[in-house]
Amino acid sequence: MLMKKVAARIVLAAAAAGVAGAAWAEDGPIKVGFVGGLTGACAALVEDELNAVRMGVDELNAAGGILGRQVELVVRDSQTKPDEGAKQSRELIVGEDIDLLTGVCSSSVMLAMTAVSKELKVPFYSAIGSTQKANVEAYQPYFWQVQANATMEAVAAAEYVAKKPEWRRIVPMGFDYEWGHSSVDAFTTHLKKLRPEIEITDPIFPKVGEANMAPYITAALAKQPDAIFAAVFGGGLASLIKQGQGYGMFERSNLVTLLTVDALQSMGDAMPKERVFGVARAPFFAIEDSEDARAFIAHYRSKYGEYPTDWSINGYDGLMFYAAAAEAAGSVEPDALMKAVHEITFDGLRGNALKVRAFDGQMNAPSYVGEVSFEDGYDFAIMKNVEVYAGEALMWPEETIQAARDAAK
Amino acid sequence: MILVQLVNGLMEGMMLFLIASGLTLIFGVSRIINFAHGSLYMLGAFLTWQLVPLLAPGTVAGFFGAVLLSAVLVAVIGTIFEMLILRRIYGADTLMQLIITIALVFILRDAVRTIWGPNSLSVPMPDAMMGALVIGDNFFPIFPFVIFGAGLVVVLAMILVIHFTRAGILLRAATDDRGMASLLGVNEKLVFTLVFAAGCFLAGLAGGMAAPYGDVNYLLDTTVIVSAFIVCVIGGLGNLYGALAGAMVVGVTKAMGVMFFPRLAMVLIFLIMAAVLVARSLGRQAGPAR
Repeated sequence: MLMKKVAARIVLAAAAAGVAGAAWAEDGPIKVGFVGGLTGACAALVEDELNAVRMGVDELNAAGGILGRQVELVVRDSQTKPDEGAKQSRELIVGEDIDLLTGVCSSSVMLAMTAVSKELKVPFYSAIGSTQKANVEAYQPYFWQVQANATMEAVAAAEYVAKKPEWRRIVPMGFDYEWGHSSVDAFTTHLKKLRPEIEITDPIFPKVGEANMAPYITAALAKQPDAIFAAVFGGGLASLIKQGQGYGMFERSNLVTLLTVDALQSMGDAMPKERVFGVARAPFFAIEDSEDARAFIAHYRSKYGEYPTDWSINGYDGLMFYAAAAEAAGSVEPDALMKAVHEITFDGLRGNALKVRAFDGQMNAPSYVGEVSFEDGYDFAIMKNVEVYAGEALMWPEETIQAARDAAK
Repeated sequence: MILVQLVNGLMEGMMLFLIASGLTLIFGVSRIINFAHGSLYMLGAFLTWQLVPLLAPGTVAGFFGAVLLSAVLVAVIGTIFEMLILRRIYGADTLMQLIITIALVFILRDAVRTIWGPNSLSVPMPDAMMGALVIGDNFFPIFPFVIFGAGLVVVLAMILVIHFTRAGILLRAATDDRGMASLLGVNEKLVFTLVFAAGCFLAGLAGGMAAPYGDVNYLLDTTVIVSAFIVCVIGGLGNLYGALAGAMVVGVTKAMGVMFFPRLAMVLIFLIMAAVLVARSLGRQAGPAR
């Protein structure tokens, strides 16, 4: 039994080494491995990303592919579980010879997959998952991030709040796990730096996915805040907004929270008319100045019958960025490709001059903060007066990241 | 504020009781631990989402009509499941029963996902139930009060049925001593099916009533089942009044915990659960949860 296991390990290791050492196929299709949480907590988000990636692959192929080679999409379900995500990634790399790994959503799956990418030296980017750990403690040279990571978003929220002088007392709130805590920390630290006189109370941490937010709302409002910053999402966010109305939250205070297009859509009419401020990753209504973005939105709507969400737009930008890097490198061989990833400047749906930093794989992607508002022509609330924060201003400088890496050792 | 928080706790307690009562009722009679109870709750929420716009959107009657209809549909689905599958495994060991009900969890989850998709849906709150009673500085939202009232009606109806009807007598007899009840000529099969249907009805009812208060998504099943089990463990599985007490204890403890020991709120509930388990094993062994 033991011998069998050992033998199996040797075979696996040999297979892995074979892949890592093998010359990269220079002909045949370029294979994009999409390991996403098609089931589990991430399903709705991943479906939106996958829709856009499928569309992008079709467009690339219609235009002759990447480097004259057709692009083939191979999709696997990680079930939003770290071990399953790692296993599926390994199988695609060893069995399907994929050239690129993507599709990840949940932070924990992302950390498991970046470890596989590092070990087997396959380029890997994220367009939904956003934990900063992948840029800092768990950074590896084959990873890049095409959207603002969680910390950058919290910093953007702090920048926005700082510009509201009438807000003097803030209650931070976050889901009780890594993302919620690090968002609250980044928000609090940055806001204190911008406005030392502002009062930030002790944070409130509901458990992840909490359906009954009433006790947390009461506890938050008891502190009489001018605004509540909430790093919550999904069902917890819907509960916070719906239940908050019964406690006069939007008469007595303001709410600053993450509001991607899918969240705005699922809230529908239940969204308060005012006093909600959203932080978003890539809201379609804020990028419509660009002709490319307008064309993408129209195409997406005609194909899928709905507006693209932040996840669709980032997913599409992510794929097109990879295509541009591969064209620049003249190859999809991992080391050559990564060199191009760190060198090229990319014009995407979210704006021009997008670049990926070499020391943490972070793209200077923008964050969007605006006021929730009901506008004609939409059957859900969108945002008006959207401020766009350029990624450079939100990213941690190299020294800070180095210090965090040293501290984590 | 403490008063508001106490009310919050009682509201959540009532919601928890509605969920847990069906679970505990089914276990009490048939000794089946129905893991799919949360899935039936979820189904009730989705059906309510579907039915509200078809009936009278925005009105209180339309909302409760949709909720009742959903609960009936869930009960029908539950009954079919009981008659086709569950009925055959009452004598089987617990593991077998677990596997069958967990299978139903997966089947319902995938079915719901296929029908309604993975996106979260939102059930609109009836216009009359929005807003709050403002007393001094305190806001008391109306919707939870209505739900609390509806929950009380359900509790009263259950007490009446259990104590004053023939069905209630049969139910108590079957809970008390299944073998003896059967020997005395009680149609065991019928009692089991009816109780299972009633439990499913309660799950669907709870799912529908809670739907406007949060979002409706296909992951509600597992979220709900855990809290339902905590309540049942504190109250004693199979003990209806225990479930009521357990639900109120959990609701109020959580609300007060959030207010006074924010970092300990969830731990407190598990501490109570652990204490109850220890106390029960130290005390008389022949509690309601045999």
